[in-house]
Amino acid sequence: MFLSGLFGVIIRKNLITLLVSTELMLNGVNLGFVSMDRIVGGVEGQIFALFVLTVAAAEVAVGLGLVVAIFRLRGYEGSSEITQLRD
Amino acid sequence: MEWLIFGFLAVWLLASVFGTLFLKNPVHVILAFLSVILAIAGMFLHLGAELLAGLQLIIYAVAIIVFYVLVITTIPWEKVKKFEGIYKREALIAIPFLLVSFGAISYMILKGNFYISQKVPTENNIVSVGKSLFTTYLFPFEVASVILLTAMIGAIILGRKEE
Repeated sequence: MFLSGLFGVIIRKNLITLLVSTELMLNGVNLGFVSMDRIVGGVEGQIFALFVLTVAAAEVAVGLGLVVAIFRLRGYEGSSEITQLRD
Repeated sequence: MEWLIFGFLAVWLLASVFGTLFLKNPVHVILAFLSVILAIAGMFLHLGAELLAGLQLIIYAVAIIVFYVLVITTIPWEKVKKFEGIYKREALIAIPFLLVSFGAISYMILKGNFYISQKVPTENNIVSVGKSLFTTYLFPFEVASVILLTAMIGAIILGRKEE
């Protein structure tokens, strides 16, 4: 159980491929929910994990849409170079 | 035996998480992420959340991974390769913060006082999840569907071609 808490934390660094890292964070939180559920013995954690899953799907859709839009506008740029929202 | 399975899954998960974080090639990163997802689905099964394991496999391993691969194929490869790797300085700065937060959370987990009910959790897991999802948590469920709809419309608007 302690290990699964550990994941949620280790997972929390987003350096490159930011979206994948975000997915990692969400997954870590999900894992935490489910293991807490197992410890406490309820079913609510799984439901919240379900909602987190939903939000993850939405986030992926919007995030990748943004990536494609940025690429269309001015070519793919690294995350360090996207510093202005409009030009 | 249980701890053996858990340890195996944990090692697998950690290895693929580090792979996801530190591999250079984006496609390799996505493959490592797929491995993470499989490990987490196994973990869910092990923890007795069969519904979530199935959903994890369907939603993540199929839909999201395919979506990522699709977007990578959309973007020309040289431009992707130009920005691979990690930012060294930022990573070094991030490490102390990570260690501190890790210490705090592990302190919380170790010293925390969980209310542990000794009832055997799941005689029929999916049934109980569905019941409380559609009674107690009906409103959040509807909100989630609205969020998905919004995200879909937003993605369409963002992704369409400028005419």
